[in-house]
Amino acid sequence: MPNLRWQPVATLLLSIFGLGVSVYLTITHFDKVALVCVSNGTINCEKVTTSPQSVIFGIPVAMLGLAFFVPMIVLCLPAAWRSADRRIHLARLILSIAGVGMIVYLIIAELFIIKAICLWCSSVHLITFILFVIIVTASPIVLAPDHGLALADGDDAYDAG
Amino acid sequence: MAQDQDRTTVGGNKPKPVNGPGGAGQSAKDRSKAQSRSVSTKSPAGKGGKPGARPGAGGKGGAGGKGGNTPRSGARPAPAAPKRRASGALVAWGAVGLVVVVIAVLVIVKLTSGSTNNANAPYTPVTPAAASVVHDVTNIPLSVYNTVGVTSPTVQVTPPIITSGQPPMTLNGKSPATFYYGAEYCPYCAAERWSMTAALSRFGTWSGLKVTASSHTDVFPATNTFSYYGASLTSPYLEFSGVEAVSNVPTATYYRSLQKPTKEEQNILTKYDSPQFIPGATAGQVGFPFININNLALISGPSYSPGVLSGLSWTDIAAGLNDPTNPVTQAIVATANYMTAAICVGTKGQPGSVCSSPGVEAAAKALKLS
Repeated sequence: MPNLRWQPVATLLLSIFGLGVSVYLTITHFDKVALVCVSNGTINCEKVTTSPQSVIFGIPVAMLGLAFFVPMIVLCLPAAWRSADRRIHLARLILSIAGVGMIVYLIIAELFIIKAICLWCSSVHLITFILFVIIVTASPIVLAPDHGLALADGDDAYDAG
Repeated sequence: MAQDQDRTTVGGNKPKPVNGPGGAGQSAKDRSKAQSRSVSTKSPAGKGGKPGARPGAGGKGGAGGKGGNTPRSGARPAPAAPKRRASGALVAWGAVGLVVVVIAVLVIVKLTSGSTNNANAPYTPVTPAAASVVHDVTNIPLSVYNTVGVTSPTVQVTPPIITSGQPPMTLNGKSPATFYYGAEYCPYCAAERWSMTAALSRFGTWSGLKVTASSHTDVFPATNTFSYYGASLTSPYLEFSGVEAVSNVPTATYYRSLQKPTKEEQNILTKYDSPQFIPGATAGQVGFPFININNLALISGPSYSPGVLSGLSWTDIAAGLNDPTNPVTQAIVATANYMTAAICVGTKGQPGSVCSSPGVEAAAKALKLS
């Protein structure tokens, strides 16, 4: 039976890094005096972060990133991964699905509405996607009925006979 | 029934009851325990002291597996879990694959649509500036300059960078001098030109001023402004050179080139638009706008956000310049006072009516020039 070995650490580290980038993007969202106008094509961080699409229902997207990564860090703590409470694993899964849904929307906005790409934003998108992959593929393990009990007993395998 | 009984006694293929002996309400573990054949002296609650935590030996759910499925004592019965997990893994990877496909389709559609081509984007053509606009900008009342000083409570204004120990600039054999390097598409240049035009008008007379707007597709789109392409300043106090390196006419990937700096101007850019003088600058990379006032004061980027000019016509902006309570005016005039104070150092305080005015003196004090 597959076991969780690297997934808890990987997701925790990714979430922490994602939080750091979201903090930076939040700061630069509110500090609107940029230094120079170096826009010369598709990559234009300022154009993206100051676009109308950078705010959703009055909330800067960067702050939505904070709202995503803070609970994700909690849900990716090793204790949370080991938990026998299915609700924790479901919450992590649902949050990751919501996150990847958001990044699909943001990618559409960048490519087709704003017509510019923000490299910092893209790094957050990539982190969110990788989190999604790890969490979704680990879900069959952690959502198994006896996941928490098995790990609590230290038993990591069924005998297939 | 006999058939079922026979089945249960042959090999390990025990049919899995639909509900189990305990009925539908039992958990899988309980059903398994009820079905198991005891082959060990260990109690079901043996290891860990958890009653019912481990079902006794036997097939969990009785599905068995291959023939000869003899449960090992103390081990969990071979479950249907691997099958469940296999299908779960399939669904999981299917979901990942779906997301990958969606993103890939978006990127492919974008790349093949040709919409990265900027060439069809609209732009504001460069036209001669209306006389009233030029008049309003070049004749801002002294009282407005003095009332505003360097105070812009609503719009943040960044003062220029003051150098030290640098020789006065010489341009075209004349000194002191001021050099502007920008681009017509650039929204930050658009903001800066309002202040620069006002400040320099206090030392001479403009001719050939034109109006345009910044890029329609960049940040702060279509910010109305002047263009220095073909414009000149006649002054007894200083030499001015303005270079618009790039226009606001879109091409496939950028904008049409316009002017090239002279060798003398390029040397100024190379030396002063550099990390040595501009914090955060990248060596070898020139940003728009770059303004060098006599090698004493440097401006790299906007002194105030072009956002305050959003939606305002040239007439709106110019006509508002006689109101010192107008936030747009405060940003433009405060910046102009900073520029004027730096120019006055090079002109040795001339003309006196400008350089000794309270607004300029306030700026000089803020820049530690006096």
